[in-house]
Amino acid sequence: MSSSHEPSQPGSHMFDYKHVGGRFLGLVALAIVAFAAVGFGAFSDTKQFAFSYLFAFTFFLTICMGGLFWTLVHHAVDAEWSVVVRRQTENMASLLIIMGVLFIPLIFVAPKLWYWMTKLPGQDILLDEKWPYLTKEFFWIRAAFYFLFFGIAATWLRANSIYQDTCGSARYTLLNRKITFASLPLFAVCLTFAAVDWLMGLDYHWFSTMWGVYIFAGTALSSLCVLVLIITALRNAGYLQNIVSLEHYHIMGKLMLAFTIFWAYIGFSQYMLIWYANIPEETVYFLRRNTETWQILSTALVVGHFFVPFLLLLFNFGKKSPAFLCGMALWILSMHLLDVYVIVLPALHKAGVVVSWLDIACLIAIGSTLAAVFLKRLGDAPLWPLRDPRLKKSIALKN
Amino acid sequence: MSNATAEHPEHLTEDEKQLVRKPLVLNNRTMGWISDYISSIVEGKTPTWWYVSMAITVPLTLMCLALLGYLISTGVGVWGNNHPIGWAWDITNFVFWIGIGHAGTLISAILFLTRQKWRTSINRAAEAMTLFAVVCAGIYPALHVGRVWMAWWLAPVPNANAIWQNFRSPLLWDVFAVSTYFTVSVLFWYTGLIPDLATLRDRCTTKIRKFIYGVLALGWRGGNRQWRHYEMAYLILAGLSTPLVLSVHSVVSFDFATSVVPGWHTTIFPPYFVAGAIFGGFAMVLTIMIPACAIYKPLHDLVTTDHVNKMCKIILLTGSIVGYAYLMELFVAWYSANPYERAAFWYRAFGPYWWAYWSMMFCNVVAPQIFWFKYFRTHLVWVWVIVQFPNAGMWFERFVIIATTLARDFTPSAWGMFHPTWVDICTFIGTFGLFGTLFLLFIRFLPMICMFEVKAVLPEADPHHGEANH
Repeated sequence: MSSSHEPSQPGSHMFDYKHVGGRFLGLVALAIVAFAAVGFGAFSDTKQFAFSYLFAFTFFLTICMGGLFWTLVHHAVDAEWSVVVRRQTENMASLLIIMGVLFIPLIFVAPKLWYWMTKLPGQDILLDEKWPYLTKEFFWIRAAFYFLFFGIAATWLRANSIYQDTCGSARYTLLNRKITFASLPLFAVCLTFAAVDWLMGLDYHWFSTMWGVYIFAGTALSSLCVLVLIITALRNAGYLQNIVSLEHYHIMGKLMLAFTIFWAYIGFSQYMLIWYANIPEETVYFLRRNTETWQILSTALVVGHFFVPFLLLLFNFGKKSPAFLCGMALWILSMHLLDVYVIVLPALHKAGVVVSWLDIACLIAIGSTLAAVFLKRLGDAPLWPLRDPRLKKSIALKN
Repeated sequence: MSNATAEHPEHLTEDEKQLVRKPLVLNNRTMGWISDYISSIVEGKTPTWWYVSMAITVPLTLMCLALLGYLISTGVGVWGNNHPIGWAWDITNFVFWIGIGHAGTLISAILFLTRQKWRTSINRAAEAMTLFAVVCAGIYPALHVGRVWMAWWLAPVPNANAIWQNFRSPLLWDVFAVSTYFTVSVLFWYTGLIPDLATLRDRCTTKIRKFIYGVLALGWRGGNRQWRHYEMAYLILAGLSTPLVLSVHSVVSFDFATSVVPGWHTTIFPPYFVAGAIFGGFAMVLTIMIPACAIYKPLHDLVTTDHVNKMCKIILLTGSIVGYAYLMELFVAWYSANPYERAAFWYRAFGPYWWAYWSMMFCNVVAPQIFWFKYFRTHLVWVWVIVQFPNAGMWFERFVIIATTLARDFTPSAWGMFHPTWVDICTFIGTFGLFGTLFLLFIRFLPMICMFEVKAVLPEADPHHGEANH
């Protein structure tokens, strides 16, 4: 979106399709072409496809789960500042249903990814000991449960929020709070075990109690960055002008700093404890990522995912600047992409980094699909919760 | 557009009424009343209850000091520490107290940075509690080293004796983490006290009091420049304290997690310990503040039911995070398929220390779940009763981690049980006396609520107060 395409009603609370009509179709076309290419890749190099697809899938899944997380946090703590940006976190969360559909290709290539599926009973005592958790039946039941929960929670919260735009009843704020309280423990469980199943499970010998928290840290941070980008794009297009102020950016900037530190804290704690104890069954994960060319990426992650954003976000000068925050958001997102890459791909390319065109194609395929659906979601409902009881206070926010 | 904060609450629906933010100060208390009342607690005649309480806590403190003297003169053998349980009640109690010493600085620093105005009426007392808890905690690592007169070897002094500190040991990191935390917390607490000390100085009627409070107030006059410097200093100290709150208990967790001992070595320990510390710290804040407000009843206008409600929610959240960590530990111990990991957790739950494990589970995970119900979060008697579970549960947690893990070494020939001696028990009870004594002295001689910060959250402190439809 650019400022050259002014919406038909500047400042309107509804997103104008005319604004992006051509681009929407472009995204759909791109998704089709990319999926066709990915489909070709899936047959020519199934193993590479499996890992590339999981990499792209995980990257976008974390962002969508983060959308749900921020929606839940908003309701749980009865926040005021985030009322004006909440519709966008709801829209992001609503893509979790699409993520459920996009999970389907992984079902067909599952044994290539999670090689425990290819083992027979008696072949590996460590796998036998994990019965019944690592059985195909339970694995798929869990996956279905995660998406069922994500889908219901995201859809229900968004539906109530949108309904409140029409009726204005405070009842829906209270109802969403109740849904949130029921959802929070389930969210923690689903995120953790999805991370265990799909990422930790790439090497079923390896384990870390911190794993769920580590994935959560990336989830919260990356989705916040996407939120900043969405809000800025809408503002640049003429929307949310008198709704989202620099004060809101300031808060989002502070949260970006906080979660940058949180990610580093969790990542460091996990790494340091495994490095220090030096137990072979645990160090196997980091040995692979700290040797060969993978080490370059792991080192880049430390510098790029923590030191650079930490030092730049620490000071006050940029946190109230949408352009600066967008730059930081793009940087952090690229680092999150790298983080997911370093989690997933070393399980395939053990000897070092091998970039495949499928990595990029899968990213484009899933990304353009989600972007197209997101644009549709944008136009389906007002851009902010029009009659939220705390809207006025949120608009008038002062830090 | 409906607005739940509308100025005419009588027009609100029942649902909207539930969304109205509660005032931070009740009964339209004025700035003058706040100064008068908080100062009067310090200025008034010493109440009888204070003497009675001191009559209990001071002997306990003296008992603690006497037993520490006995320990130093006789040796660590007077405690029940044995082989294999080399760390026993000493480190259990250390971690217990240091955990309690987390809530104060969390309230003051992190809630300050996140602009949570409700912190203003509880931060002073909570911070004082933090410092006193750290004092109690500091006793144990200093004393458990055995030859306490050599404890200075922990400090990186010049290499006069050809002794180098082992900087690779998390135990040494602990020394630095705790001492830094204590130093910065003292500075933070004292900085926040200065304007209120000046208020007390200005109200003094005797010369000696005026002199003492005058010296303590460091020449505060409340000028513009002074306030500007104060605000900047407080913000910087809050920024410095925030990572310290997180680092102290993370480093304490490293004491265990860097080892290769099954049940200790687990990567989730740092955030889990921090969450547990905040959990236990808030429980102790409520344990102290509820009786304090019951004695000084008008304080209920400053530390309102809504404050208690919010603290209970934090206890519920952190208790649930601790529960998540317990379950992850259990799950991964099983998932790892490592027989030693599995045995360690099986032993915790079903070995001879099963009572400690299930007490921990009940107190820390199950009992706080009652705070899902608003009635229990807002009924002060219930709150006080319920927060005793986290208080006890966090002690059990440290005992479970330390004693039950060490009780089962890798080889059965090295297995053993821990039995506390009377010195162990009485020293621990004595630390409560020390904690209580310090807190009672604090209530008597310093303003237990931050007067100037509470005034700043009054509606009339808003420059636009009274303007229609602002």
